[in-house]
Amino acid sequence: MKRTVLYDCHVESGARLVDFAGWQMPVQYPGGILQEHLETRRSAGLFDVSHMGRFEVGGKGALDFLREVLTNDAAGLPAGQAHYTLLANPAGGAIDDAFLYRFYEDRWLLVVNASNAPKDWEHLNRQAAGFSGVRIKDLSGELAMIAVQGPKAEDIVSSLLDKGPLPQSKRNALGKAVLAGSQTLIGRTGYTGEPVCFELFVQASAAGRIWQILKEKGAHPVGLGARDTLRLEASLPLYGHEYGIDLDGQEIPILTCPTGRFGVDLNDPNRRFIGREAIAMQSAGVEKRIYPIRITGKGIGRAGSPVFLEGRQIGRLTSGTMVPYWVRRAAGPANQGEQGAGWQEHFTGQSDQRAIGLALLSGKPGPQTKIEIDNRGRRLEAIVVKRNLDNRSALFTFAVIE
Amino acid sequence: MIDPEARYLRTHEWARREDGDVFTIGLSSYAIDQLGDIVFMELPQEGDTLDQGGSFGVVESVKAASDLYAPIGGEVVEVNEAVPENPDMLKEDPYEEGWLIKIKASNPEEFEEMMDAGEYKHFLETEGG
Repeated sequence: MKRTVLYDCHVESGARLVDFAGWQMPVQYPGGILQEHLETRRSAGLFDVSHMGRFEVGGKGALDFLREVLTNDAAGLPAGQAHYTLLANPAGGAIDDAFLYRFYEDRWLLVVNASNAPKDWEHLNRQAAGFSGVRIKDLSGELAMIAVQGPKAEDIVSSLLDKGPLPQSKRNALGKAVLAGSQTLIGRTGYTGEPVCFELFVQASAAGRIWQILKEKGAHPVGLGARDTLRLEASLPLYGHEYGIDLDGQEIPILTCPTGRFGVDLNDPNRRFIGREAIAMQSAGVEKRIYPIRITGKGIGRAGSPVFLEGRQIGRLTSGTMVPYWVRRAAGPANQGEQGAGWQEHFTGQSDQRAIGLALLSGKPGPQTKIEIDNRGRRLEAIVVKRNLDNRSALFTFAVIE
Repeated sequence: MIDPEARYLRTHEWARREDGDVFTIGLSSYAIDQLGDIVFMELPQEGDTLDQGGSFGVVESVKAASDLYAPIGGEVVEVNEAVPENPDMLKEDPYEEGWLIKIKASNPEEFEEMMDAGEYKHFLETEGG
């Protein structure tokens, strides 16, 4: 079993460790999943995401290569920015979804799911054989990856700054700085839905020290359990649930997932990329789509739970669980959609829970459509929603319960 | 933590003889600790009849749902309705405040088939549940 360079930090914090994609990872710390979720939304969560794959692509042929193996167009990505992208197969399904970081003019860092890293590595190297001047290097061992997410993340990360600014305050902006004496690559990226979000790429030798300081400055360690509830609340897809093979054995077309659209660029008609023809067909319409849902009755839906509309099955949940949220004081119409300050004003300090999920459904149900979810033979009342988390303000997110 | 008075199943339910043929049923602190945060529970209704080994409810954490299995068959004579309302009671006091149901056994000898506290402790140490 593999361990990240932060393993000792997790053990010291009393983490419960699980086997995840061949890695021994913290699923939760002693406070538990609910508390870790809430702390991320209220202050800041600290995540070890060093188990993910980090591949550096460089060389003269790098850009041409990336434009062929990734669905988003790397030519449209300036240095100092990152974007969401996918590795597609010729049928228009996802081999993986990924983030492409361009910290430097001449080389790119591709961050992929831990569970798919060996498969991606093999795929990329096989494809690279058709190009000249492409160099792919696995940096997963020498660079650790730490995420800091939540309203206090910027205060916490800036308190470690020795030299250089943070990346500009814009989603997916990148920068280089010295944090607590260590050269660090910083991205304003993340997987929690938090508007204030950082992912730090630090030398493995410095990772334990940086982790410890971030913790001392008030970032709360968060395990894989709350990482999953946070991404689910933000309706972010997870490979193996919203991408890949669905629970009926069918491959999920990339554009089935609304997030997939942000990772596909069809604008340049002269760019050929793997899966392009199939994805172009999907853009004319797909049979099923992924929708966020909320259970209004009593109970929890789980991945695989059948979903019914007027008694007829229209699909299944791809992900589902109970997530906690901070209760807001009822906001008057004047406060609807207010910025961060408005949120704080309505913060009660009380938390509650709600069962939510993502569902792969046919029949294009609109927002507020009433559906039923089967959980172990019992039908739970639920609705299709536009979103379960509002993260459009600059600082805070809040639970949407309309 | 193990209640020395109770007997146990491999699936971590405990039973304790209260009075004659009436037994109190709950879930061991080991199981509750393994589940993590409990976010939803379902228990049977008073008057329901349970078979030994049959499911009498479900306890759900963020990560998973687990069935509760009846160690003893019989009629449900009391349900601790406070626990599904406040699952934290399970974590705080699994053998007293956090009991789940009381059952009037149709065959009280089934109690003797369960592991005693020493056997359960050994089971946890050797098989880790």
